[in-house]
Amino acid sequence: MKFSDETLRAYLEGNADATEAAAIEAAIETDADLEQRLMALDPFAPVVQSVFENIPAKAPQLDLPKSAAASPVRLSGGPWRLLAVAASVAVVAVSATFWATRPQPMGWAEQAAIYQSLYSPDTIASLDNAPDALDAQFAQAEAQLGRSLNRDTLEALPGLELKRAQVLSFKGKPLIQVVFADDQGQPLAFCIIRQGESAPAKDVKHSALSGLATATWAQGGYGYMLIGSSEQTDLNEPLDILTTTFTG
Amino acid sequence: MSSEQAVRGAIQTHSKRVWRFGLALSGASDVADDLLQSTCLRALERHHQVTSHDRLDSWLMTICRSIWLNEVRARSVRKAQALSVTPEAELIASGPDSETNIFAAEVFTQVMQLPEAQRETVMLVFVEGYSYREAAALLEVPIGTIMSRLSNARQKLKNVMQHDAADAVRRSGK
Repeated sequence: MKFSDETLRAYLEGNADATEAAAIEAAIETDADLEQRLMALDPFAPVVQSVFENIPAKAPQLDLPKSAAASPVRLSGGPWRLLAVAASVAVVAVSATFWATRPQPMGWAEQAAIYQSLYSPDTIASLDNAPDALDAQFAQAEAQLGRSLNRDTLEALPGLELKRAQVLSFKGKPLIQVVFADDQGQPLAFCIIRQGESAPAKDVKHSALSGLATATWAQGGYGYMLIGSSEQTDLNEPLDILTTTFTG
Repeated sequence: MSSEQAVRGAIQTHSKRVWRFGLALSGASDVADDLLQSTCLRALERHHQVTSHDRLDSWLMTICRSIWLNEVRARSVRKAQALSVTPEAELIASGPDSETNIFAAEVFTQVMQLPEAQRETVMLVFVEGYSYREAAALLEVPIGTIMSRLSNARQKLKNVMQHDAADAVRRSGK
């Protein structure tokens, strides 16, 4: 059964009729979403919370044994007590550090940068970038991605030679890596991932990932990433062209 | 992290809320002090029972309530009945003005005058943010009981809040 916000508010203020109230209470038993909605609408909770949340004002005093293995001796003062306090502070600090440094799930851009950081000039020197080979690679990549890769634009990027388009995958999503060589033979890459229509658009963001200069953005359900050959690579010129070409 | 470290960490993190819950159960800040102390010692003794480091807060609350019901309540209840529920001044956070403080004191008093079952439920759901079903599990009652306790508590709190709203209207009309 669907309940409007008005009905739920009436219930919370004690103004719902008995049948309605019983229906809401019965529905809550199996409907966690309804429970969340009702809790969010409750006008009493924030008032009571604001009164109680700062009680007690200071952290309460505790006498805890130094280790659970020791018998619970009450440390009634002196250096031992300071030591116990220091030990508990250390535990809190350690847990806080643990939380702060726990590994975050890695995003596609981080993964792509790690992969790209393993490329050296030798990796791309011997790639066959004859038109026939590129035709086949682009056909496969565009089929996976479900959109054009604007090969003409990629071939015309100033100072960059198109070397290969390769189909990769990140968490089941097609990820295309297009590799270029700059005039020193250093590898650069342009990556596109299909994220789905609901993915939020993101403005261009520059960051150094795995020791490489990168620029990422997202639009129209695709994520884009340009990866330099080092942390110092100036990405601006190709980036201007790519952000104008790949708008969605 | 060992289970003992996890329990010590949880004690540090949640000592205020366990103390508050102890206050809600007992109605007296000195009993809340004792309840918190006993809860933490008991939790450390039982750290090897901890199988998951999630929700150690509910575990501490459960221990606190069990100590209250089984060990402390009988000897405190006479005292609690005699206790004036006028809030101890230092417990109420000082607001920006005295009217806010008066209102806070009224809400505090009204909550503390609720029957114990409603009081502990209000504390867990309104103040500590447990969901109805989490509170039901913690207090070992059906979820419907949680909802009816909260409904009854809201009826009583409504009087204070309406009174306060009326005051505000009167003041602004001056």
